[in-house]
Amino acid sequence: MVDPIFQSSNYQLARKLLDASVLRQNAIASNIANAETPGYRRLDLAPSFASELRARLTSSMPGESITELKPTLVEDSRARSIRPDGNSVEMESELLEMNRNSVDYDFLTELVSRNIKQLRLAITGRAG
Amino acid sequence: MNLISGIDVSAGALNAQRTRLDIVAQNIANAQTTRAADGQPYQRRVVSFESELLKKQGVPGASLQSVKVAQIMPDKTPGQRVYDPQHPDAGADGMVQLPNVNLAYEMVDLITATRAYEANLSVVKNGRQMAMKALEIGK
Repeated sequence: MVDPIFQSSNYQLARKLLDASVLRQNAIASNIANAETPGYRRLDLAPSFASELRARLTSSMPGESITELKPTLVEDSRARSIRPDGNSVEMESELLEMNRNSVDYDFLTELVSRNIKQLRLAITGRAG
Repeated sequence: MNLISGIDVSAGALNAQRTRLDIVAQNIANAQTTRAADGQPYQRRVVSFESELLKKQGVPGASLQSVKVAQIMPDKTPGQRVYDPQHPDAGADGMVQLPNVNLAYEMVDLITATRAYEANLSVVKNGRQMAMKALEIGK
């Protein structure tokens, strides 16, 4: 049975978070590209994504309902602009966020890899 | 779909910053040009950026924005007038109208553009690293 690993909520969650991580990387690329565009408002993942994900994890069928959830981008309404041109990008925090996101991504790919390796170990009886 | 996430956004920004560097180079090169193509003293050029929406079909939420050069405008402030009757472009009163290039402004612009270029480049590198990690899944 291959299903238990690929249907486990951990694996599903990791897949969804990988999608979210890529989208966040796109948002950061957009923010850094527009660091000097007057009036630009920074983009970020919709805050509703995390709460939706948490709600669906505790539902009766976590696997399927997680797959349907799509992360989206929104303008960050909490970011305040301290610059006269109305731009709300702070270069330092974007770069920090990018590095954090990259570590998250490494962790998630590692998690997915380990899941697959575990399955391979179970099939072949030897690691690697 | 791009394997390296956000690369088309960063590519636009890298292009825009490089244009800005080119314009700084042009301004510095022409810091003493008293007769440009129109016969007048050179006027320093200023680059302005605008964001460019990258449309994606069927994706809800805010869309990504790249950046591009909106326009390259001449700076209209008058340059210095100096007394130099030997100068070939001196007027009847011996005054020469110099270009309005200020080297201090240009150097600051140069540094800002370089740093912005580096920041965008580090985003590309990071995206590439993420793509390589994705390729290693299951290995």
